[in-house]
Amino acid sequence: MTTQDTAPLTFEDHFGLSPELITRTLDAALSRGGEFSEIYLEYKLFTFIRMEEGIIKETAESVSRGAGIRVISGGRTGYAYTNRLDAAQLKHGAMTAASISRGSGRSSARLSPSFPPHTYYPVQENPYAAPLPSKISLVESAYGSALEHDPCIRIVKASYADQIQHITIANSEGLMRSEVRPLVKLTCVVIAENKSGRREAGYFGGGGRVGMEYFSQSLTPQEIGRSAAREAVHLLDAAEAPAGEMPVVLAPGHSGVLIHEAVGHLLEADFNRKKTSIFWDKMGRRIGSPQVNIFDDPTIPFFRGSYNMDDEGTLPRKTPLILEGKVTGLLQDRLSAGIMQAELTGHGRRQDYTCIPIPRMSNSYIDAGDYSPEEILKSVQRGFYAHLFQGGQVEDSGKFTFSVSSGFLIENGRLAAPVKQATLIGSNIDILNKISMVGSDLRFGLQTGTCGKEGQSAPVTDGCPTLKIERMTVGGQT
Amino acid sequence: MTADKIEERTTPLLEDLVSTGTLHGADEVEITFQAATEFSVDVRLGDIENLIEAGSTGVSIKVILDKRTAVATSSDLDRSTLEDLVIKAVQRAAQGSSDEYAGLPAGVPDPVDPETLELHDDEITRLDTETKISLARETEAIALRDPRITNSHGASFETRKIHSRLINSHGFSRSYTETYCSLGVGLQAGDTDDLVEGYWGSARRHFEDLETPESVAQKAVARTVRQLRPRKIKTQKVPVLFEPEMTGWLMGFLFSCVSGTAVYNRATFLLGKLGQKIADERVSVYDDGLLKRGLGSSPFDAEGVPCRKTSVIERGVLTNYLCNTYAARKLERSSTGNASGGGVAPSNFHLAAGSTAPADMIRSIEKGMILIRVLGHGLNPITGDLSRGAFGLWVEKGEILFPVSEITISGNLGAVLQEIVAVGNDLEFNRSVCGPSLLIGEMTVAGL
Repeated sequence: MTTQDTAPLTFEDHFGLSPELITRTLDAALSRGGEFSEIYLEYKLFTFIRMEEGIIKETAESVSRGAGIRVISGGRTGYAYTNRLDAAQLKHGAMTAASISRGSGRSSARLSPSFPPHTYYPVQENPYAAPLPSKISLVESAYGSALEHDPCIRIVKASYADQIQHITIANSEGLMRSEVRPLVKLTCVVIAENKSGRREAGYFGGGGRVGMEYFSQSLTPQEIGRSAAREAVHLLDAAEAPAGEMPVVLAPGHSGVLIHEAVGHLLEADFNRKKTSIFWDKMGRRIGSPQVNIFDDPTIPFFRGSYNMDDEGTLPRKTPLILEGKVTGLLQDRLSAGIMQAELTGHGRRQDYTCIPIPRMSNSYIDAGDYSPEEILKSVQRGFYAHLFQGGQVEDSGKFTFSVSSGFLIENGRLAAPVKQATLIGSNIDILNKISMVGSDLRFGLQTGTCGKEGQSAPVTDGCPTLKIERMTVGGQT
Repeated sequence: MTADKIEERTTPLLEDLVSTGTLHGADEVEITFQAATEFSVDVRLGDIENLIEAGSTGVSIKVILDKRTAVATSSDLDRSTLEDLVIKAVQRAAQGSSDEYAGLPAGVPDPVDPETLELHDDEITRLDTETKISLARETEAIALRDPRITNSHGASFETRKIHSRLINSHGFSRSYTETYCSLGVGLQAGDTDDLVEGYWGSARRHFEDLETPESVAQKAVARTVRQLRPRKIKTQKVPVLFEPEMTGWLMGFLFSCVSGTAVYNRATFLLGKLGQKIADERVSVYDDGLLKRGLGSSPFDAEGVPCRKTSVIERGVLTNYLCNTYAARKLERSSTGNASGGGVAPSNFHLAAGSTAPADMIRSIEKGMILIRVLGHGLNPITGDLSRGAFGLWVEKGEILFPVSEITISGNLGAVLQEIVAVGNDLEFNRSVCGPSLLIGEMTVAGL
């Protein structure tokens, strides 16, 4: 199935709703005043396969269909959702959402249906439509490759998940857009155990908004299995991480989580509109090294964080957040852009129809700089090299952490002993100013990441070249 | 339509689905149904920010054919959609692998009468919208009266009512209703470039047990302003006092290490440690699924096995792993009634209260830190290693001197459990995974 085949899908096919009923719902939502109403229709199909202990333990399938109805009135949002898509339920939802408004009603604009002009995921073979045995063989292949990699590998868990999400959004301004988003993920978790009983885990995975061809052309299940196994075996010899402040070099790719936590979240418009983000009063100001350029780009083909339209129907665009160390942009959704009188950037995302859209990242990265990775490493006498990450967290004050699952000590400009498990902590503006070298080797991390905000998860990716931070607190045990 | 009305109407459909599965060749079929009504309101700087009200339903299907398992879920209650999912699940099961440990529990005893657990409160259903909004508004307003509070993330009041029914091909068919309410507020103090963050929330099954707006606001304010003007400290090993909320995450980490799933996957450092002393003798940990009004209580688990109180650590000795039916068969143990959504989940998993007052713990610290907040993940059940970003209060000679930030704490859960030198008398079931204050003899605090 190609995207051309799926494009003509409309709300009528999957939701059984006529344009008149949608207009009536939008009108009902505005019947007590309010300046904006919207209906978000979602139909999502999901497949999951899990292999453990040499067998396919479970296959799962799921169907989810529902509508979220939103009314914006001043800064207030009224929201209702239902998974019963009949006229009575939609009317009830619309009136519930309208309850935050006090005023006289008005009607919505005439709907003009359209599709997003670009597709950022022109897949050849849609994973959801692929036969189950072909998906099972991907899982078995990743599993087998991990197990065969080394005699120390004791436990392997491989899993495959795909989904296809059909969305139609209609609002009182007359917008009505539909799209179909594929998403697939193949992951492998491995536990290695040595003779003395020490156990360590490794993880690897891939996917994105890709077709089944990805697993033969871009990243094979064998590579996924072997990479997870390599990591676990490598950690068997790792020492405790050091503790204290020291120079830190971040490996390219996975270290993008630093940008995601330290910068991305705090440039989401809602935190700035509410003045809770440390960045709210710093637009246009220099807050980091001039080598630092940071973007969020929902239009990177096949990436997990990409979309043809955001979850409010806005066409997305590559958005500069930091240019030459200066704050230049925010990630906007409709509500914040309306209040701040800013342009939409297409970053209003939601987990599903049960959730209110909020400003979110998509694919965020720090752009390549001038230094070769070798030069960067050579400049460090003694320090910490952060290689793989478990994730991170930030709060509005700019304090952030990220957890390194695997790293190295740096001694005399070279990678020395491998070390495990350490949390790095810092304050974002302080750390952005301490970025002293930006590498030329921009890479993106795994296509398996999920970001959580206000209880909603969203698929994201992040990217980063090799980076040197002059000093940062490393929280190991020795 | 109310949740219990939907449930009443749906039961015949669920029974039919079990028959559909059996008719198409499944050896065993299990159907779970949930209908929920939810309300939440966020108030920020005095005005409503978000108001959400919704009803939702969901069906989960599990079929077993020749010891091969397939599952499915749907939010759609349409009969043909659901029948189709059951039939496809039977077909998919045939493509899976045979697993001798697969299958539903057989011959389960009767669970307790759900009413004795007092899991639902009709008062929550009767609260009108204005009352709910004003609870959030009042909480934030009280907090904002404190001049040291400079901004607000908003206050939220939420309620939920869930009706669940489990039916299986062994003739099990039971249901229960539960309610939940919570009130919380997030605050900031200090200027933009010197911000500190704090939060407090109360969550209960019954509205009458919920903390008042005054109490929530006062705790949130105190927890925020005590962090103002933090200092950095040098890297060192010192005693660390875990506040109850911090013991809470430590217990969450411990749960992931005693889950039967982690044990048969060799993914826990507590593998093979049953019957061994793994903690100081002051430490006893229980998982109590039958705690009256407990946030994690229920009459039976996701497989219909009665919930119960299980001792996990008794005076420092590891006594049990927590299991669903599958993990129990793998480990040649019995299910502890902890099945949840295909895996194992805690009920009310808690470290039992000790006898030391938290104030006495502080007084006993010559030089050390009270851990008040953490940031980041850094937990590895396989090794027990833990490393998290931290915020604390520095203590010398039994007195709190100043707040500290931009530090990390690290250690190993195995060592931390052994080095508990005092257990607080301040256990409160504000969450389903919880514990009292704990004083740990020594942990690494990394800073400058």
